[in-house]
Amino acid sequence: MQSPLQELEATYFTLQSQIDALNEDCQTQAQSNMLSAQYVQARQNYWACVNKAFHDDDPQVVSLTNQIDAANQQLSNAVGELGDITQTLNYITNVVTLGTQLASNVITV
Amino acid sequence: MPDLYGTTLRSYRKLRTAAVSILLCLVFASGCKTSDDAAAAATQLTTTASTLTSYYSALGTLLSDTDQLYSIQAVLNPDAPYDDPTKKYVTDTISEIQKREKLAAELTTMAQEFAKLSGSTAPTDASTAAGNLESAVAALKISSVSMSASNVNLMKDAVDVIVKAVQEHKERNVAVAIDKFTSTLDTWFQSEEPYCNTIGATYANVTKSLAARLIKQGQVDPSPFLSPVFSPYGLTPQLTDPNIKSKVLDVLAMQVDQKSAALAKGQETATTNMQKSLSEMTSRIHLVATGKLMAIRAEPITLAQVQNWISQVPQIASASATAAKSSTSTDAKNK
Repeated sequence: MQSPLQELEATYFTLQSQIDALNEDCQTQAQSNMLSAQYVQARQNYWACVNKAFHDDDPQVVSLTNQIDAANQQLSNAVGELGDITQTLNYITNVVTLGTQLASNVITV
Repeated sequence: MPDLYGTTLRSYRKLRTAAVSILLCLVFASGCKTSDDAAAAATQLTTTASTLTSYYSALGTLLSDTDQLYSIQAVLNPDAPYDDPTKKYVTDTISEIQKREKLAAELTTMAQEFAKLSGSTAPTDASTAAGNLESAVAALKISSVSMSASNVNLMKDAVDVIVKAVQEHKERNVAVAIDKFTSTLDTWFQSEEPYCNTIGATYANVTKSLAARLIKQGQVDPSPFLSPVFSPYGLTPQLTDPNIKSKVLDVLAMQVDQKSAALAKGQETATTNMQKSLSEMTSRIHLVATGKLMAIRAEPITLAQVQNWISQVPQIASASATAAKSSTSTDAKNK
């Protein structure tokens, strides 16, 4: 498991580098819209945590970071296999939703 | 009603000025084994702090460029709009990096004044420089960088210790305070390494994805790839064959992948070397502050590698972003 920021970075970087290929796989406008929304949210989650901190010993932060780590791996595999776009979008939505929850735990002053 | 706050503030400033004056005399005259060591340490600290300033400036350039890249991406791909919250986060990050650049610049000025002090009896400029450094630290305290808040507080504490030590005539504590300041700065920089490195990694990732998209769409002239063939003869390549063009575009896409990885790695290495330089400088100042001999006269060896990366950034980043950064800096100075 990496740090919370590294996990959010991994999600965002995957989508940043794959958004064109994934968009080509989308079969409907709704899928494209979903991909676009998830990309924007993933980038927002990442930037919301740049130069910020988490309570590393917070069980919720640890749990979410672990879940994102597994979800990132799942997403990476799905993108690499160029499989079913519907399933891939589900993976994306799952990891980005977890990322949003994690980003909401960032310490703000 | 008496302006108690103003009176206290003025007293504090006077005390601070006195504190710095004594600090300079103490650390760089009587508190040192030799004044040569003190002067050398001050000169080396000047170069190190100056490089740190340029390092942050380079990060700022990469961030400004990333800001522009997101705008370009939004035009190229409507599915990747540059939303306002993200733009604000990017702008805030640029602002935080600029605060660090200012802190490093103030430290440079203070170290320069320290270096001049060898044999001098008028440390007025140095007092002013120390005051400016104090302000730069205070600016960091009010930032939203909660991660480094404890370290920022430690740096502020170091400045406070100087004042208090003078008040209580605990001269030894004054010397310890400046040692503590640089030590805390080093620790703070280490704690922020992942944040600095993510700036370069993001820049590399975004440029790579946009370059790949544009290469795929044929929006790049691959002719210069053939330049090594024609340049000895003063000829300009003109690639028109679609088959060759397609092959060359594939090669260019691979080169972008490799160069992107090198860009991210280059920035990461510069951060590591900057940290090593700060640690080395901290060790040397500790020697001087504790009255031990500081034998090394050369600058920290890793500093040259950081400076090399810094010199490459204007060539890496687009001219427009560099100009935008320069304009922003000018605006900030004018304010």
